[in-house]
Amino acid sequence: MNKQISNRRNYSSNFRLLIVIGLLCGGIGIMAFTMNKDNSLKVVKSNSLSPIKKDSVTSVKAFQQVYTVLMSARCMNCHPSGNVPLQGDDSHLHTMLPQRGIDGKGVYAMKCANCHQPTNTAGLHTPPGNPNWHLPPANMRMVFQGRTPRQLAKQLIDPKQNGHKDLKKLIAHADDGLVLAGWNPGEGRTLPPMSHAAFKKAWLTWLNTGAFAPAK
Amino acid sequence: MEKTNTDFTRRAFLKASAIAGGGLLLHFSGLAKSVLAERGIDAASPEWNELTGYIKITSDNIIKIICPNPEFGQNVMTSLPMVVAEELDVDWKKVIVEMGPHDNTKLGPQFTGGSNSMRMYWKPLRQAGASARQMLMQAAAQNWAVPVEELTTKAGEIYHVKSNRKGVYGDFAAKASGIPVPKDVNPKNVKDFNIVRHSQKNVEGTKIVSGKPLFGLDYKHEGMLIAMPVHPPAFGLKLKSFDASQTLKMPGIKDVFTIKLYEDGFEQGGFDTRTFNVILAVVGKTTWEVMQARKKLVVEWEPAGDVTNTMQGRGGGKREVIVPGELESTEKQMEKMREYASKPAQLLRKDGDPETAFKNAAQILERTYNAPFLAHNCMEPMNFFAHVTDEKALLVGPLQAPGWTQPTLAKVLKLPADKIEIQMTRMGGGFGRRAYGHYLIEAALISRQAKAPVKLIYSREDDTTYGIYRPMYTATYRAALDENKNLIAFHVKGGGIPEHAIAANRFPAGAIDHYLAEGWEIPSNITIGAFRAPRSNFNAAAEQSFLDELAEAMGKDPIEMRLELLKRAKENPVGKNNEYDVDRYAGVLKLVKEKSGWNGAEHKKYSRGVAAYFCHNSYAAHVVDITIKDGQPYVERVTSAIDCGIVINPDAATNMVQGAVIDGIGNSLYGGLTHKDGVVAQNNFHSYRIIRMHEAPKSVDVHFVQNDIDPTGLGEPPFPPVFGAVAGALYKATGKRYYQQPFTSPQPVIPTV
Amino acid sequence: MIALNINKKIYHIDADPETPLLWVLRDHVGLVGTKFGCGVAQCGACVVHLNGEAVRSCVTKLSRAVGKKVVTIEGLSEKNDHPLQKAWLELDVSQCGYCQAGQIMSAAVLLKENKNPTDQDINDAMAGNICRCGTYLRIREAIHLASELQRKGGGNS
Repeated sequence: MNKQISNRRNYSSNFRLLIVIGLLCGGIGIMAFTMNKDNSLKVVKSNSLSPIKKDSVTSVKAFQQVYTVLMSARCMNCHPSGNVPLQGDDSHLHTMLPQRGIDGKGVYAMKCANCHQPTNTAGLHTPPGNPNWHLPPANMRMVFQGRTPRQLAKQLIDPKQNGHKDLKKLIAHADDGLVLAGWNPGEGRTLPPMSHAAFKKAWLTWLNTGAFAPAK
Repeated sequence: MEKTNTDFTRRAFLKASAIAGGGLLLHFSGLAKSVLAERGIDAASPEWNELTGYIKITSDNIIKIICPNPEFGQNVMTSLPMVVAEELDVDWKKVIVEMGPHDNTKLGPQFTGGSNSMRMYWKPLRQAGASARQMLMQAAAQNWAVPVEELTTKAGEIYHVKSNRKGVYGDFAAKASGIPVPKDVNPKNVKDFNIVRHSQKNVEGTKIVSGKPLFGLDYKHEGMLIAMPVHPPAFGLKLKSFDASQTLKMPGIKDVFTIKLYEDGFEQGGFDTRTFNVILAVVGKTTWEVMQARKKLVVEWEPAGDVTNTMQGRGGGKREVIVPGELESTEKQMEKMREYASKPAQLLRKDGDPETAFKNAAQILERTYNAPFLAHNCMEPMNFFAHVTDEKALLVGPLQAPGWTQPTLAKVLKLPADKIEIQMTRMGGGFGRRAYGHYLIEAALISRQAKAPVKLIYSREDDTTYGIYRPMYTATYRAALDENKNLIAFHVKGGGIPEHAIAANRFPAGAIDHYLAEGWEIPSNITIGAFRAPRSNFNAAAEQSFLDELAEAMGKDPIEMRLELLKRAKENPVGKNNEYDVDRYAGVLKLVKEKSGWNGAEHKKYSRGVAAYFCHNSYAAHVVDITIKDGQPYVERVTSAIDCGIVINPDAATNMVQGAVIDGIGNSLYGGLTHKDGVVAQNNFHSYRIIRMHEAPKSVDVHFVQNDIDPTGLGEPPFPPVFGAVAGALYKATGKRYYQQPFTSPQPVIPTV
Repeated sequence: MIALNINKKIYHIDADPETPLLWVLRDHVGLVGTKFGCGVAQCGACVVHLNGEAVRSCVTKLSRAVGKKVVTIEGLSEKNDHPLQKAWLELDVSQCGYCQAGQIMSAAVLLKENKNPTDQDINDAMAGNICRCGTYLRIREAIHLASELQRKGGGNS
């Protein structure tokens, strides 16, 4: 199973919507993920104040919540299975088919930032904004679209698919402003299915109980 | 100062030459002169000698040709002056071309629409050019005291070979302008053309690619304010009340008020369509300030209820039309169309005994086709500049037919027509939309109220949701076959909201013994108007799709089947008033068959569809070749055959056909406008899908039938048959027939009959 | 007053920094070659170069342009001789012409970053620019021709 996943070239260095509590980050020393045979998370080295207490039932339950957020339009639209982002609450292919490009920032006259400004543009059906608006890059595509909960959970904690990030980097990276954009999507767009706080809680619960992947 | 020859003979010539002007040539007002002087156009050239309304030449030999017709991308600003230049015999590269002012007396009917520009100006402009040349030669003959018959011209020079004398036109222009305009000067033999029938570049090409101010939106005027409209958010609503207090506090805002387009009982002409009679106007210094302030308006709307419009009757008099107040939704519209389709309808044409023929048929094929409202989506949103005072009005902007709007404006403003000056800018697209001058009237009323020069600007959303759409159409076609699969009867019954599209006397009428055409209409408050090839743009989709399916049912090749029907119409025409020329219709089919390699190697490579249509006086046929790209049907290649008579400007004509083909592909696959409770569901390009670069074919190969027939138009005729050819090719690609436009929308399941 | 570098000239603009660059150019500076088409970054008629990128000026605020170089169609070349302008004229691309400035400005970024674009590259670069007249075939050909002119050293860039 691990082999199968790691053979896919679906990586990302950018977790747009992974929100991790800053307090937790502060306490983390050198730490890295490796995979146990039961697909749960193993802490290699840690001086964290919140050591992981494995609980597969709680973990899987929490991930189911995480999954509904990641697969919502606000998250999935920039984690497409192809090289064109998705758009709208129905996650249709982005009009005018902007291409991912090598760095995830578009190509030629069709770079994300040509339309997507540092902040949301006012008005309905205008481009939402963020200073760092982009897709995952071509060599780390981090696809959400089409992933089952099990596939996505395993992908998220696999260093070979998450940009070779250890937990610290992962947490630090997840804390950037682009993540919050999901809850500030601009006029007329639906929010992810739960609040930012609820999502954070589910995400941390999932991680802190061993990041188990659901059966399907 | 400008010299203008106003002698009786010249005026008589103009009257004769502007044949299509009809009753518009009433008097010469002298307006054009003052207009030009005011505009400062001639300031740099003090001595324009006018030879006919279309030609001006200075003594230092600057030659200017006036384009009478508004330019919206059909390239008339190049092609019409080319015709003048050809007959005048000048070096095209040295000619200055200028858009004329609105002056129907001097410059003829001046409307861009119905693919009529070239057709209606062909003879007058040839006459103008040939007459002016004759006048210049007469002046030279007088100067040189030689018989005019001994003179020749070449590229703007006059020669007297015997005495070895020559001069340029400018040498004789002053004298020539005083010579009565000769009548009935023979124009050139069309075989001798060296400007016309040769590709000439767009005279405004350089200005376009360098961003010069050309369009209405670019027009600037001292002290000009910007206005934006606020119209009801739904068809069937009207203004109840508004609170502008917050708006008026916004920076740059001058005023907020309502305007009423037409007073009660105003007799509307055919192009006086208006969707919302009372709109709000926000007036301010800059566009962005007005856009921002407009959002602060608090407006209450209320149901408009049924409204009675007073329309000018076609044959004089007036008639009352009731516009229903319903807040329409697309599903309900479809339901109504199905209901009306089963009711008795207006008989449009009947040949033979179709009822009996259908009764006796061995097989009946029946299919229903539907098409949605379409918005024009001109790239330049509606806008117009107006400066209206108690004494006069100046209006500048994009408009297809100034001569149609000016009388309305005169009535609304209560100003004499000669106090209203309309200048036409280049238009960022038209497609029929700018034949309706409501936005010009609105601009004028806003300027009068604001007591300032004002540019009215529609946002894209204002533009798309205003109305004046291609109507929503349906048509049911039935064909009766005998036991040998011969076509014995044909029946079309079409309807629409608010009008049907059926052109009863067009092919295949005339080719079938028993023929019946009927139509019905559903009143609506959703306003409609001309949209690139009105009615034909639906017919050619529905009828040509049906013929394709019919050919299959008859076991025939779709081109051969059409040619056989045309042969019948030629040899033994049925009925009267058949509108098409059989040979020319068959001609484009044969040409497209040959050029597309029909039944050749390409047939294996592509899913191919064919269609042909005649409308707006020209003939067009296309073969559309579809491949599957990224799992989706993609129109990769199109072969087109066109008969529009003499092709004035071949490369530009090719461009026009290519554009029409791409427009046809786009609208057939993606075009459509729906409503929910009167609100338009697609108000900008995020939801109103326009064909884009990656969806455009790799090639559109255009072939013109070569003949010497007087030229007819090209803006519209190539557009309609694209729909039918795309439908046919999609069928080959997917195995499914396409009955509902746009073709990317869910298709109804049709039982096989 | 906000100083803005447009076509190598400094303009002092009296406008709200939130004002879209499009309206600054059109209403304040008087450069109207940049067109208003949709106002929501859908059509590309308003494309200008901001530090060399083909931004859509209808959604790009004045504040974003401060300290950067703005180039509009009027400043693309000194004598209307950018290879794209030459190619556009050679192939007589325009019909109504309204979208063409935006098309050319988008194509200019493509040619700067890809000297010999394929049809696919052109699709990827130009799918954001709508031409309602449907001149896409000629736009495509003109970009190929311009890239050829550029490689041969024709034009000024």
